[in-house]
Amino acid sequence: MKLNIEGLLVYFPYDYIYPEQYSYMLELKRTLDAKGHGVLEMPSGTGKTISLLSLIVAYQKAFPLDVTKLIYCSRTVPEIEKVVEELRKLMEFYAKETGEVNNFLALALSSRKNLCIHPEVSSLRFGKEVDGKCHSLTASYIRAQRHSNPDQPVCRFYEEFDAVGRQVPLPAGIYNLDDLKDFGRRKGWCPYYLARYSILHANIVVYSYHYLLDPKIADLVSKELAKKSVVVFDEAHNIDNVCIDSMSVNITRRTLDRCQGNVETLQHTIQKIKDTDAAKLREEYRRLVEGLKEANIARETDVYLANPVLPDEILQEAVPGSIRTAEHFLGFLRRFLEYLKSRLRVHHVVQESAPQFLKDIFEKVCIDRKPLRFCAERLQSLLRTLEIADIADFSAVTLIANFATLVSTYSLGFTIIIEPFDDRTPTIANPVLHFSCMDPSIAIKPVFQRFQSVVITSGTLSPLDIYPKILDFRPVTMASFTMTLARTCLCPLIVGRGNDQVALSSKFETREDFAVIRNYGNLLLEMSAIVPDGIVAFFTSYVYMENIVASWYEQGILENIQRNKLIFIETQDAAETSMALEKYQEACENGRGAILLSVARGKVSEGIDFVHHFGRAVIMFGVPYVYTQSRILKARLEYLRDQFQIRENDFLTFDAMRHAAQCVGRAIRGKTDYGLMIFADKRYARADKRGKLPRWIQEHISDGSLNLTVDETVQLSKHFLRQMAQPFRQVKPPDRRRVSLRATSPRLLSLCRRTSWVCLC
Amino acid sequence: MASLSEEVLLVVKKVRQRKQDGTLYLMAERIAWGPEGKDRFTVSHPYSDIRCQKISPDGKAKVQLQLVLHTGESTTFHFANESTALKDREAAKELLQQLLPKFKKKANKELEEKNRMLQEDPVLFQLYKDLVVSQVISAEEFWANRLGGLNNSEPAPYSNKQEVGISGAFLADIRPQTDGCNGLRYNLTTDIIESIFRTYPAVKQKYSENVPHSLTEKEFWTRFFQSHYFHRDRINTGTQDIFSECAKQDEKGLMSLVNKGVKNPLVDLLSLEDKTLDEGYGLKQALPSTSNTNKTVKESSNAAIIKRFNHHSAMVLAAGSRKNEVPADQASETSSTDGNSRDSDFFQPPVKKVKLQEAIEYEDLQRESKQKTVALNLKKSDRYAHGPVPLQSQKYTTSQDIINAVNCIQQEMAHYKPNLTQVMSSTAASSAIAALSPGGVLMQGGAQQAINQMVPSDIQGELKHLYVAAGELLRHFWSCFPVNTSFLEDKVIKMKSNLERFQMTKLSPFKEKLQRQYLGTNLTGHLEEMLQTAYGKFHIWQTRRMMRKT
Repeated sequence: MKLNIEGLLVYFPYDYIYPEQYSYMLELKRTLDAKGHGVLEMPSGTGKTISLLSLIVAYQKAFPLDVTKLIYCSRTVPEIEKVVEELRKLMEFYAKETGEVNNFLALALSSRKNLCIHPEVSSLRFGKEVDGKCHSLTASYIRAQRHSNPDQPVCRFYEEFDAVGRQVPLPAGIYNLDDLKDFGRRKGWCPYYLARYSILHANIVVYSYHYLLDPKIADLVSKELAKKSVVVFDEAHNIDNVCIDSMSVNITRRTLDRCQGNVETLQHTIQKIKDTDAAKLREEYRRLVEGLKEANIARETDVYLANPVLPDEILQEAVPGSIRTAEHFLGFLRRFLEYLKSRLRVHHVVQESAPQFLKDIFEKVCIDRKPLRFCAERLQSLLRTLEIADIADFSAVTLIANFATLVSTYSLGFTIIIEPFDDRTPTIANPVLHFSCMDPSIAIKPVFQRFQSVVITSGTLSPLDIYPKILDFRPVTMASFTMTLARTCLCPLIVGRGNDQVALSSKFETREDFAVIRNYGNLLLEMSAIVPDGIVAFFTSYVYMENIVASWYEQGILENIQRNKLIFIETQDAAETSMALEKYQEACENGRGAILLSVARGKVSEGIDFVHHFGRAVIMFGVPYVYTQSRILKARLEYLRDQFQIRENDFLTFDAMRHAAQCVGRAIRGKTDYGLMIFADKRYARADKRGKLPRWIQEHISDGSLNLTVDETVQLSKHFLRQMAQPFRQVKPPDRRRVSLRATSPRLLSLCRRTSWVCLC
Repeated sequence: MASLSEEVLLVVKKVRQRKQDGTLYLMAERIAWGPEGKDRFTVSHPYSDIRCQKISPDGKAKVQLQLVLHTGESTTFHFANESTALKDREAAKELLQQLLPKFKKKANKELEEKNRMLQEDPVLFQLYKDLVVSQVISAEEFWANRLGGLNNSEPAPYSNKQEVGISGAFLADIRPQTDGCNGLRYNLTTDIIESIFRTYPAVKQKYSENVPHSLTEKEFWTRFFQSHYFHRDRINTGTQDIFSECAKQDEKGLMSLVNKGVKNPLVDLLSLEDKTLDEGYGLKQALPSTSNTNKTVKESSNAAIIKRFNHHSAMVLAAGSRKNEVPADQASETSSTDGNSRDSDFFQPPVKKVKLQEAIEYEDLQRESKQKTVALNLKKSDRYAHGPVPLQSQKYTTSQDIINAVNCIQQEMAHYKPNLTQVMSSTAASSAIAALSPGGVLMQGGAQQAINQMVPSDIQGELKHLYVAAGELLRHFWSCFPVNTSFLEDKVIKMKSNLERFQMTKLSPFKEKLQRQYLGTNLTGHLEEMLQTAYGKFHIWQTRRMMRKT
């Protein structure tokens, strides 16, 4: 259908539209018009992505000079691929409606692991191995060596791409990861480098957060993206943690040892080069005297995205003389390394700020702040000069250099914590230096500054006002949309008591209480008897889940649950969990029904959807507070309080509730879907917790369902499920090819009910 | 004796029923009991009526056998011969055990089939109620041409019975009972053993290796329950345990399952993350490798429980679908002969594509797919559009004109460019649409009120049923023509009377009801017309027949 969004003609590839999608587009258009940033919350399953894409593509077509590029950032690989498929649908609709040939270039970019087509390299399992192997085949000096030594192996796909691929731009079209690989195979070009090169002139780029937020990768990939771009962060409820992660550094003894090894290697290489090719080093020296003028000019003329690890000030100056020659720099690194080693020899926990650290290092080993700031850049230059291919090998020394630059650049927003041992194992010495970022705005600041519109969106962003605060930006639009429903397809219930009136809570004091554990078990058991197909249960932490599962096992509760459904449990091993997940889905498919026990903040809660029968009920056992005793968290809370006037408790609750909302939101992935959301903790009833749930969940919690017992919950659930099992308009049963194993399974019964209805009409 | 011709398989004396002594006879097709001293049976059940037999537990004073019938009634026999009561009962039980299944299979399959059809097809069920229950036609007539046709057309989906899966809790069902003297008793049934074998093939293998050469069956199961394999949460690996090998095999199986990876890319947690942070970055540091070794015993036993549940569930699931695997394997084998498919990469994208497509569908936003209609195929559309109207001299638009006009409008619409910034307000637009919709201000006078708005829905439903029933009867009636056998002759006469009965018992009351409710429209007119046509045909046929006869 065609829509008129305040004068903008928008093609929307469906015949109907939800009202909230229309409002969403309105807000989005206003954001783009104002060339500002926006925060938009809309429930999952209401077609957020297609609304975003429809409007922005229409905007790009109407005002090609104002918005030149859409950068769509998502979190996981499947999500990236989903976005591209939706885009393909939109573009097909455009072609059908207007009859014009599509002239848009849209592509997904992912890591080498997902794009490599080199037969040997792509068979490696881990991303890091693929990257390392690729480096060793494509680094410039390796290729240079090939001129003299034809036996040197290189990647033919890269060679081919380098020879011809850059001259002809990628033809217009929609390229998903597989399409890129196909195209690469056909042409014999490396898809990864082709994609990286093509994002510069593509109209739409879809990739993961890290390509913008992680300064190390952003500097390589996204530096040259046009200023007039619209950046969308989808599923952005966790964006602050991504920012913090990308700027934090941990240094252990092992890191230092490996770093030591790196420095030795560098020393040898320098010595060798000195003997054979001293001119190369002299050339580098000359370059360093000239300073980083080039980068500076680039930044001033606004060609590049700023790099938080490369602060503005150092661009104006030359690299200080004390680290300009390679040997001096190595000596400098050694001193720094020794200093760090001495710091790791402490016997008690130390916490200090960056200025304190700098003062101490100056007093102890006379290292000034200034050369420290150049450390990262200087090392890069050296590695380039020495023509060292395998960057992965030098990760330790790069890490140390990055740390040096960061610690000397930012006096605020970071904290240094040195722990001599792990809290859980106080007898084993395992010193770690945490250099942790507490201010997510540092990593994301260049993005807000550079691009004209940045949209942060997700299904769960409540409370909205906290994100602008902690990310330090001023949005022009902030809106939360609720779900318009033809029928109330979600049923949030708060279970506060067991049948014996024992208060249910996962709070620390009652964690080990058998009465609570037993009542939780009863809740799951009762639900397993009445809910058809799949149930997903989330626990607050992995340890908590292990303990509860063990005591349920001892009490025989799990055996009773097994009479109703199969049980699958998330483990800490990703491969094992994937298998469990697949089996879980299989059990839901064939009608046997299953329960998945999982962990909030775990991989399942963040990335897996439980549509339709894969999740008819979600049970949240307890409030998923983060582990509050960690020093890093404490430091961050303190920082939030001092800098942004956010109280500790507010932030902790906010964090817990966004994870709870994420977990329960996994079950509802659309309006034809339905599911129970059971919050099993009496603390959810309090206004400060409830008020932080997204509006679309909040408005379905009635006052009567705030403090239910297990029995009452079962009654309400039965009623809800019976209502929902009725046919919803003419929606066909999802698929009839599914067969049931046992005739008594609720899946088959409900299927029969539905089929009989279909026959009646 | 009443039926000497029957073959008597077993006679048991001194069997009491309702406190009366008597003799129990097991014959070829029925079981019977007669009181002592009389020569007739007071109890007699054909085997096909018996649903199951039950026996009293071993320890009880009375030795009894109970027969439960399909109707829900039951008959209890008490074996009263003190010395051989148990033996008698066993003999009777054994024989019954052999006999009952034979008859069960025979038990009216046809009836089941009819029952199933009625249950699955509500329209048929309604028809059945209308015609058979109200005795318009007999049940045989009703089924006459239904069963055969249906049976032939789609026997496949129903003929093969569904495989029954394994209960997830079969191990939990083996509750150990204390026998009072420091021991445990496990009750094993053949079902449970079957479940164990199907779920854990490794145990089955052990069983066939060891029983009965080195262990008796009882010893084998005792060891099984004692072994660490059964109590997987206990961490003590005794090497002499015969099941430790099974545990290892299971471990291997699990590993291979895990290593095989998952087919659905949307649940593959390994490839979820696009770019992981490099080592050393990030808040959550990776657990140092040393921490694995110093896990407490409790922690690792907890982990073992979790692993065990995952494995158990996977095995149960696999056991349920193992039967289906065979054809799937064959299919993949045959398809792999064409060469291309050996490349595993070749198969992967389609699965992924399908899953992705499924994930981005919004089926409620799409136009509902309408039922396919047959296109009207006209040779001369001119004639259809105008009908046989006499050509008059007055001016009228030719079809060419109409087509041209439509084309014109179509073109105009195609190139229509709305001025999007200056449009009507949405309230004005919606009121205009309301005015132009049926029932709106501007649409009055034109359209007639639809019939479905005037007639209450229950009447509509009833009318629908009447139509269906009448249609069924008429179908029977018309299918008799041409009447060329005497059977058809009988049938057509019967059908005529059926139709009349239908009109009397069903249609007329309905008509009266309509009149009582003052519904003006003649709803039954068409039905009556159809009946009249049938009667007319019948009369013509009858008069002709009379003529021929005379």
